Amino acid sequence: MTDDKDVLRDVWFGRIPTCFTLYQDEITEREAEPYYLLLPRISYLTLVTDKVKKHFQKVMRQEEVSEIWFEYEGTPLKWHYPIGLLFDLHASNTALPWSITVHFKNFPEKDLLHCHSKDVIEAHFMACIKEADALKHKSQVINEMQKKDHKQLWMGLQNDKFEQFWAINRKLMEYSPEESGFRYIPFRIYQATTERPFIQKLFRPIASGGQLHTLGDLLKDVCPSAVAPEDGEQKTQVMIHGIEPMLETPVQWLSEHMSYPDNFLHISIIPRPTD
Amino acid sequence: QDLADGYLSKTHFQVRKRKIPPDLQERNDNIEQMLLTHVEESMDDSEVAGICATEEVVRYEYHVLYSSSYQVPVLYFRACFLDGRPLTLDEIWESVHACYQARLLEGPWDTITQQEHPLLGQPFFVLHPCRTHEFMSSILADSQKQNRHTNYVILWLSTVGPVVGLNLPLSYAKLAPEQNMNADSF
Repeated sequence: MTDDKDVLRDVWFGRIPTCFTLYQDEITEREAEPYYLLLPRISYLTLVTDKVKKHFQKVMRQEEVSEIWFEYEGTPLKWHYPIGLLFDLHASNTALPWSITVHFKNFPEKDLLHCHSKDVIEAHFMACIKEADALKHKSQVINEMQKKDHKQLWMGLQNDKFEQFWAINRKLMEYSPEESGFRYIPFRIYQATTERPFIQKLFRPIASGGQLHTLGDLLKDVCPSAVAPEDGEQKTQVMIHGIEPMLETPVQWLSEHMSYPDNFLHISIIPRPTD
Repeated sequence: QDLADGYLSKTHFQVRKRKIPPDLQERNDNIEQMLLTHVEESMDDSEVAGICATEEVVRYEYHVLYSSSYQVPVLYFRACFLDGRPLTLDEIWESVHACYQARLLEGPWDTITQQEHPLLGQPFFVLHPCRTHEFMSSILADSQKQNRHTNYVILWLSTVGPVVGLNLPLSYAKLAPEQNMNADSF
């Protein structure tokens, strides 16, 4: 029987083999070779692609290079979404490696946030953690921590240090003995087919009678089309970190074990492959 | 408590002042007022561009959304030139009146950051809400002492709005005097 702690490690060390190709209209001095990289599911594109940027800048003139941005099959990729979420949402049922196109021009102002430095990523990451704790603990745990603890969460993510990260993050996963779980579960549900980027609502992990709410309960409440079978057939998959958890799984357990480092459960609803 | 997934929205056009010496300021204010009157009357982008050919016209959009996580309203805003080019935060900042610049730097609003609009999925600037309860509580406590009715959203918006160029007409203050919402009822 797998220990619950193994799940934490499996989530942290998940990787997606990716092939980066320079957009054909970018002006180069010689031909640009594609660049291959294993991307951490739990991190952010602009945090882990310095080598990609350097590789392509070598074949370009300085004046042709401005802010890097990434695109998959015509869709600009939102760097502020975790990599694993982007893959599950857009490419999970396609052949590996994941093929991402790299751009240095015509930044899509209407679609993407700017990311001029690592500080922007850190600010975004910490804002997510704070919002998650507002939901879980009315911000009590995060506000009690010192600045150096906040820094340790970020450094753990940036340097891929599981132990360093979880030394602090475990406090964000605790709850008082009188409760059976968090106040509300931090989650977002994404569907590529809707204009709305995600659904986020207040949802309690414990029912009034004391029973644990399940993933199925959450979906029924927030996104009923994902669970209600049409024609008796399930047309969609519910995916977290590349797997389909059983709908009977308690959301409290999912929140503690399968959240991303930002402490949110990022859940993708994608079309079920037909074959 | 399930609030509807909508938002309050306001769009307005503003003539962007270029940097001018203080002695010319007053004269320019009058010209701006005149131009603004013309601009508000016409909702057509092309007409606006014609009238204000010598100044840059900026289209501001303000959305008030509700954050269920923090249980406070949040102000999202963006600005673009008529050709669609969005303003950077620095460019927006330049149009904020000097007295509000000082207030924003010292105030409890933390920072303005670029974030994804949760319903539209597009980049907006956001006034961070995490300290809202702090400054709203003291204002509400005072008004309750004086037995004045307060509309929470109007109160909040009139406090944070001007800092980012959103000015509420006085008529808003006369709306719905029977309403008496406070932070707890959110």
